[in-house]
Amino acid sequence: MTQPFQHARVVRATPSSRIAMSLCVIVLVGLVTMPWWASSGNIRWAIELSCYLAIAQMWNLLAGYAGLVSVGQQAFIGVAGYMLFVLAQNFGVNPFVAVILSLIAPAVLAVPTYLLLRRLDGPYFAIGTWVVAEAVRLATSNIDYLNAGAGLTLRVMTQYSQHEREVAFVILCALLLIATIGGSYWLLRSRVGLALTAMRDNPVAAASQGVNVGQLRFLIFVAAAVGTGFAGAIYYMAQLRITPAAGFDPFWASMSIFIVMVGGIGAIEGAIVGALIYFFADRLFGEFGSAYLIVLGLLTLVIALYARGGVWGLLKHLGDHPWFPVQRKLVLEDKS
Amino acid sequence: MQWLDAIIQGVLLGGMYAQYALGMALMFGVMRIVNIAHGDVMILLSLIVISLAGVLPLGNIGLIVVIVPIAVLLGWVLQKFILNKVVGADPLPSLIATFGLSIALQNLMLEVWSADTRSLPNSGIASASFEIGGIYMGLLPVLVLICAVVLTGGLDAVLRYSRFGRGLRAAAADTEAAAMTGVDPKRIYAIATAIAVAILGLAAVFAALRATVSPSDGSAQLIYAFEAVIIGGMGSLWGAFLGAMVLGVAQAIGLRIDPGLGILFGHLVFLAVLATRPEGIMARKK
Repeated sequence: MTQPFQHARVVRATPSSRIAMSLCVIVLVGLVTMPWWASSGNIRWAIELSCYLAIAQMWNLLAGYAGLVSVGQQAFIGVAGYMLFVLAQNFGVNPFVAVILSLIAPAVLAVPTYLLLRRLDGPYFAIGTWVVAEAVRLATSNIDYLNAGAGLTLRVMTQYSQHEREVAFVILCALLLIATIGGSYWLLRSRVGLALTAMRDNPVAAASQGVNVGQLRFLIFVAAAVGTGFAGAIYYMAQLRITPAAGFDPFWASMSIFIVMVGGIGAIEGAIVGALIYFFADRLFGEFGSAYLIVLGLLTLVIALYARGGVWGLLKHLGDHPWFPVQRKLVLEDKS
Repeated sequence: MQWLDAIIQGVLLGGMYAQYALGMALMFGVMRIVNIAHGDVMILLSLIVISLAGVLPLGNIGLIVVIVPIAVLLGWVLQKFILNKVVGADPLPSLIATFGLSIALQNLMLEVWSADTRSLPNSGIASASFEIGGIYMGLLPVLVLICAVVLTGGLDAVLRYSRFGRGLRAAAADTEAAAMTGVDPKRIYAIATAIAVAILGLAAVFAALRATVSPSDGSAQLIYAFEAVIIGGMGSLWGAFLGAMVLGVAQAIGLRIDPGLGILFGHLVFLAVLATRPEGIMARKK
């Protein structure tokens, strides 16, 4: 059967992805119009959820694709938050512009961090990132200019009305989601995405196929730091206050790990499912405090042992309906 | 004189860190696994010791005799039910599994023992000290350091000369080849983890005597153990010991400069070693 086919084309979109894409547009429109229809409380929730989605997606890119397990992403959250507060409060930069400028800080921190830690083996790399985060936290606590351990307050925000602030926040959140989730999707569909997927499956084999694993990891590490920092800057701008203990809280790392592992590592959908589960679980069970965290910890443990694909992996068993398809399907059409 | 004192206190502090680092170096050496819950397990054992001391009329020696078998059992359970399932080339599963365990353990301890800091009742040894040439040294820290030296030397000898040690080195070098020559890697792993946690049991008693412990202290101990291992050079027990000394001295000197700088100085020395001599200070030149 060597009869040549008449026509071949590459199909990327699926019915499920078209539905998901339309939903994304609706959600984004819903988000930016929130100040005109939602309560302040709901907007605060939306900001929080957007930050979780972004931070988790960045961790997913690191651990799920680049093979860089980090437990120190709070370093980038904290430095971006601090840079925003310093720019807005001490230099009088418009805080909404300062959010964007503050992305320089995580990028600048990520470069030496990666260059130092790349020498460490997998598990040691992870704890290395934690040491960097702790070092930055302790350094911040000792700098009087940053008000040491007491932290900073964003008083300049009082010059804006609540409505103005809310409009700015929802726009920033929409930008954040487009940059992190949309950015990840775009990256994974590109040529780099092919290399990343190959790296996820087997870094050695990927290198033998001409993927520059080291360079790609470096780029992903810096990009993830910037995305994480963006979420951190928005989160602390909404909080109006930042302290070393909060900004560099290792709980940010725990949260990313819960979300991505429970949702499903190595899939954009997984981080989204996980963030939604975590956000609602936190609302429902957060009041149980340490008992709730015991359950989250055990859940992470069980998933690592028995169900590495997480919830998204289980859903995939029921039927392959990707929301963000990154694979290419070759469709052969016989026109005769 | 003040700096000599800081160095000596740092070395004594390093004795404590060496006990945390030994088990980590051993486990990483053979399984390529880092147990993120390493520090939390130590704190758990400390809290058990403190609770036991409250109900049983045991001396400090008696407490060690009771806690070490508990630690061995805990290590065996940890290996059997968790670590054996995640040993492999991919570092992610073991990291995530032990990370989840760490969060669960910390919060479990918080539920059981609350967030209070606790310590063992002072039985005289914790406050006893002696003087050599104008420098005062606590009896307990000196004992801790001696214990660390004996443990490192003993473990090193076991790895070099015993049948188990040969099996362990074989399993570390090439698991499959070792299995073909009659070494059971699972058994080797179980013994290695049991030894690592047994050392933590001993360290737990010292930690509870020396200072206070609370459920959230584990992460810091994990980081110190890790820094000691990396400063010294991965895969070497005496390297981990020496790394612990360097870390202890760095923290003690930082602390003399400013009370807020102690731990930060330790981190900076770690990063400086990573930048200038990433193979560790003890590693042989290749």
